[in-house]
Amino acid sequence: MTSLTGVAGAGGVAPETPVRPGRRGPGAWRFAVLAVLGLYFIVPIGASVWFTVRDRRNGGVTFGTYAQIPGAEGFADAFTRSLLLAVLTVVLSLLLMVPTVVLVELRLPRLRTAVELLTLMPLVLPPIALVVGVRSVLAWAPDYFLNTPLADAFFALQEPALPWILVLVYVVLALPFVYRALDAGVRGSDLKTLTEAARNLGASWPRVLVSVVLPVLRTSVLNAAFLTLALVLGEFTVAAILGFETFPTWIVRISGSAPKLSVAVSVLSLLITWALLLLISALDRRRGAKENS
Amino acid sequence: MTAVSARAVGPADLRQRPGVAVRLEGLTRRYGSVLALDGLDLDIAGGEFVALLGPSGCGKTTALRAIAGFDRPDGGRVLVDGRDVTDVPANKRDMGMVFQAYSLFPNLTVAENVAFGLRVRGRDKGERRGRATELLELVGLADRAQRYPHQLSGGQQQRVALARALAVAPQVLLLDEPLSALDAQVRVQLREEIRRIQLELGITTVFVTHDQAEALSVADRVGVLRAGRLEQIAGPDELYERPATAFVAEFVGTMNRLPARLTDGAVELLGTRRPVTGAAPAAGPVVALIRPESLLVQADAAGPGRVVTRTFSGASTRLLVALPDGSEVRVDVASAVSQDLTPGTAVTVLPADRPVLVAPAEPIPG
Amino acid sequence: MERGDVRLSTGTAAPVRDGDPSVAVPERASRRSGRWARLLPVLGMLPFFLYVAVFLVLPIVVLSVEAFRATDPDTFEETWSTGSIAAITEGAYRRAYLGSLRLSVICAVLGAVIGLALAVAVLRTRRGRLLRRLVLTASGVLANFGGIPLAFAFIATIGTQGVITALLTDTLGLGLGGFSLYSMAGLTVVYLYFLIPLMVLTITPALEALRPQWREAADNLGASGWQYWRYVGGPVLAPPVIGATMLLFASSFAAYATAKALVGSSVPLVTLQIADALSSNVTVGSENLGKALALGMVLLIGLVMIFYAWVQRRTQRWLA
Repeated sequence: MTSLTGVAGAGGVAPETPVRPGRRGPGAWRFAVLAVLGLYFIVPIGASVWFTVRDRRNGGVTFGTYAQIPGAEGFADAFTRSLLLAVLTVVLSLLLMVPTVVLVELRLPRLRTAVELLTLMPLVLPPIALVVGVRSVLAWAPDYFLNTPLADAFFALQEPALPWILVLVYVVLALPFVYRALDAGVRGSDLKTLTEAARNLGASWPRVLVSVVLPVLRTSVLNAAFLTLALVLGEFTVAAILGFETFPTWIVRISGSAPKLSVAVSVLSLLITWALLLLISALDRRRGAKENS
Repeated sequence: MTAVSARAVGPADLRQRPGVAVRLEGLTRRYGSVLALDGLDLDIAGGEFVALLGPSGCGKTTALRAIAGFDRPDGGRVLVDGRDVTDVPANKRDMGMVFQAYSLFPNLTVAENVAFGLRVRGRDKGERRGRATELLELVGLADRAQRYPHQLSGGQQQRVALARALAVAPQVLLLDEPLSALDAQVRVQLREEIRRIQLELGITTVFVTHDQAEALSVADRVGVLRAGRLEQIAGPDELYERPATAFVAEFVGTMNRLPARLTDGAVELLGTRRPVTGAAPAAGPVVALIRPESLLVQADAAGPGRVVTRTFSGASTRLLVALPDGSEVRVDVASAVSQDLTPGTAVTVLPADRPVLVAPAEPIPG
Repeated sequence: MERGDVRLSTGTAAPVRDGDPSVAVPERASRRSGRWARLLPVLGMLPFFLYVAVFLVLPIVVLSVEAFRATDPDTFEETWSTGSIAAITEGAYRRAYLGSLRLSVICAVLGAVIGLALAVAVLRTRRGRLLRRLVLTASGVLANFGGIPLAFAFIATIGTQGVITALLTDTLGLGLGGFSLYSMAGLTVVYLYFLIPLMVLTITPALEALRPQWREAADNLGASGWQYWRYVGGPVLAPPVIGATMLLFASSFAAYATAKALVGSSVPLVTLQIADALSSNVTVGSENLGKALALGMVLLIGLVMIFYAWVQRRTQRWLA
């Protein structure tokens, strides 16, 4: 399941409800809802951890499974590949989207709806449908223009050691989140006014870009980067259908032979993703706090 | 349950209904460590228009919300027409409230908004439509009946809010800073309109504002609140001419604070003496409190004062005059006869020949 | 014409204007820079549009076109035909579509209701700021926790060797009472794990946009709680709630990794069928079947989105 949304950051103010005399009911109901859902969300995590550390033979706790991870067959390969793909996706996404977002905000506001709609499509479109289409296009190389440089390029994209085609597709999948993160940063900081003020004070455009735009976007860029990292590290569908081995597909591959290990690795990848997303949340809160002071 | 009679009530009917009296007894309200209301006592006569005035945090909105039923006071009582309504929930109190902003239901048209109170009382469509039209005509927006709130300007929205509050012929009309979010010109127009409608309907009205000019211009009586207590409640002129405390004096209108000295029953200031009005502080340093229009200024080459700025506002002009002891006073003069009093001119400033208000010379908080 | 560029686009040798500290530019250069200044932003947008065209639009278009191909099993020849399309409306594929739809609808509705309840429960409290922040942050994290790790976490919990399964069997002797993780019901339970947080995240802004003044005004006018929700709160919240539900539906419908890890092919789902069709070495022309299936998915989602847009228009006429 590809990641679906960014972290909202816990900013914003809850509306004040008028105090009404004698309303006990909602308190109990709210507690019940929170208790049941709290259990539902915590138990699977706890159970997985327990699953990986329980020592059935000796009846204690052992971290042996986790110790096995670094040395496991294919782990280093798959993990570093996923990491590399993630970093490349982040770089390409930012290279593509930062200028776009800034341009739309400062110069071409009329294109905003079109851009927003386009970036919303990957969210709604099933990734599996997209990957079927990508596969079909890739199949043109052997089918239609074999022995041309274009075909060679197509083949190079699918190099198993570092499949660039995955990067290209992942950028599309990450589009909604990257755009939203950058757009929020641009709008929230009223980039237009800032740049106009800088221009009015005599700054040239390159100077404005370096001194005004980039610093303002720093938090959103980081935001977008972490979201994309989380997405790519967890992405399974595209990699599996196109037949490459990334971290998630590796987990599935070894799950048959080493169930405990695969759960342990899942827990680990979960922790990594959480850490990334909590970082985003902290960044958001810091930005929110700065704006409120 | 509600005081709305079985048949539709129109403005004519409201006029025949005498306004109901509202009484607040010892209202106390605490938010955590902050005391928003500190034993507030207030008596409002039927049909009276009372403005609650004060700086932010003084408790005026809290008091209003206590009357409306949105905020349950920790202590004290709210009585309407002699009946204790402190424990009556907000939706059974038969009061009309106009909020500062954003209170119109966005998904209903203007007419549907106005008719909302009737709809929840189960009136039929014909009656609702008729009443809505009547009230929209009263506020001058009959032609906008089918618009949606977001299509109206701020002033128009507030007029619709007023119509909506009045549609159910409430016993009391409450207004929570209804004009604060509007442009200056719209504010003046709308406050006059509110007053006109209120006089026509004779409905008891409580109007909360932080703008003293607004309060003074529309109300029968103005109550100045500070830190949850009522400092003074009186008619606008009495409040202005005879403020009971230094806080009221400074909050209402502009007041100059001049260093002064008390000597046997009179006060020395600006090089002359004047009798003291009201209670004089017993001992210690004092300041004289004088309104800008109660000072006389004259060009005088040998004069101690010097004009710093000159602010024209139509019929009168306000001069800021610097005095040798470092203090500055504001003096209002008629624009027509003071053309010579430009910045830099040497002048003499004297208090008018009437008793002067004196207060202890400590800084006023808030 | 932007404020900062006044001197560039007017083309006259007008001196300094409005306190613009830059020196006036001679006419010819200003006219050339003016045209360049207008062209540059459009050029700047090209990379984005090109990228989207090549890597998003092109695959979908190709997919749609090639779904109308079929391979003759004997001659291995490819021809234009609607055979693949026809095939997917019958038999196992039809069951797959229905299965996916059923699962997605159930998950969307359950996720929406529970998520809404959670969002409301957390939002209405004046003293529970910390709780609210915790739930929102947790939702942000959990909404992204899907796919493989989630599936394995649940296998470890209520799978055949799961911790909770063992616990229930040992202590209560019941086991899971007939409930199997590797079924539609099991999938629903697992999907909800990321759908509920997704709902919370999506609907919270809409809940916060409900102004307290509306509730107070309604109260003041004599409305009961129910009347408020019927005439104001409900109509205002309905469009975002429907939108969020659609989002949940799309997410469930498109899910592949979780399903693959849990049920293999025992549960009829379109995504699983597509993967099978693509990896099948047995059936000739299964690739085209896969494309047809994928096209079906795209069309279905498209229909849902059109329906959503229609609902938006109808229910939000006050914004029109």
